[in-house]
Amino acid sequence: MSDDAELLQRIRAGAVDEFAELVRRHQSRVFAILHRYERDAQRVEDLAQETFLKAWRALGQFDARAPFEHWVSRIAVRTALDHLRREKKHRGDIGFDDLGEDALDWLQHGDDKSELDSRSAAEILNLALSRLSPADRIVITMQELDGRSVKEIAAALGVSGIAVRVRAVRARAKLRRALEQLAPEGK
Amino acid sequence: MNEKKLQRLFAAARKDAAPLPPDGFVPADFVADVLRQVRNEPAVGQPVPATIFDQLNALFPRLALAAAAVIILCIAADFGLTSAGLPELGDGAAQLSSQFDLNGDGL
Repeated sequence: MSDDAELLQRIRAGAVDEFAELVRRHQSRVFAILHRYERDAQRVEDLAQETFLKAWRALGQFDARAPFEHWVSRIAVRTALDHLRREKKHRGDIGFDDLGEDALDWLQHGDDKSELDSRSAAEILNLALSRLSPADRIVITMQELDGRSVKEIAAALGVSGIAVRVRAVRARAKLRRALEQLAPEGK
Repeated sequence: MNEKKLQRLFAAARKDAAPLPPDGFVPADFVADVLRQVRNEPAVGQPVPATIFDQLNALFPRLALAAAAVIILCIAADFGLTSAGLPELGDGAAQLSSQFDLNGDGL
């Protein structure tokens, strides 16, 4: 089986259908990235399509210095960022009424040793993160949930490593404040 | 919320969404949908022609350096010629101008 570079060469030579193989190879990764920022399956699919369409349009600029997977991941992160910005405009602040009982109980009474199931943790984080700016949310998600390095985040967002570090510290402080507000609101 | 509790929250949330979901996560007709859209797009590898402003922007640092070099060269040449006792460029222009005015048939 040919590697991505060979596939790209054939696509550039006019073999449009070969792009399908490229999509097949990287779709899981793109869906996984987008799923971090949007839980609605249909919307994730739309965003994934948007990501690959952007990749197609920019394929002439891809210089293959980095693997195609990294390049398309960066496009996915930026697509997610645009999506969060659009959502923020339309949705405004989200309330905490939808939190489950387990999540509320952990927030209000739990300490650092209390058990918390992954579903409740995701609920809490999603609500708290929705109060952050889209860029703050992306930085926290990539750093804390995806385990990405500062360098990777900087490359994905097209900013310097220092900018990512500064944003990460501030975003963490904002997240902490959002979580502290969450408990009283849930009462 | 203290740091340990926050770390516990992150650790639990990390387990909720695996970084790479199984293939079943992606709809079966996804690739076909993307390809359908791609076929309506212009061919790849043929960059959109850049406008004159794009080209000027791309050349900006070089053009600015070239302009600065020409100015420095002119000043240096003028200074050098003056030091060598030759008339300045301004003198030559003034002389030409006065001759033109005196001739009367310049127009």
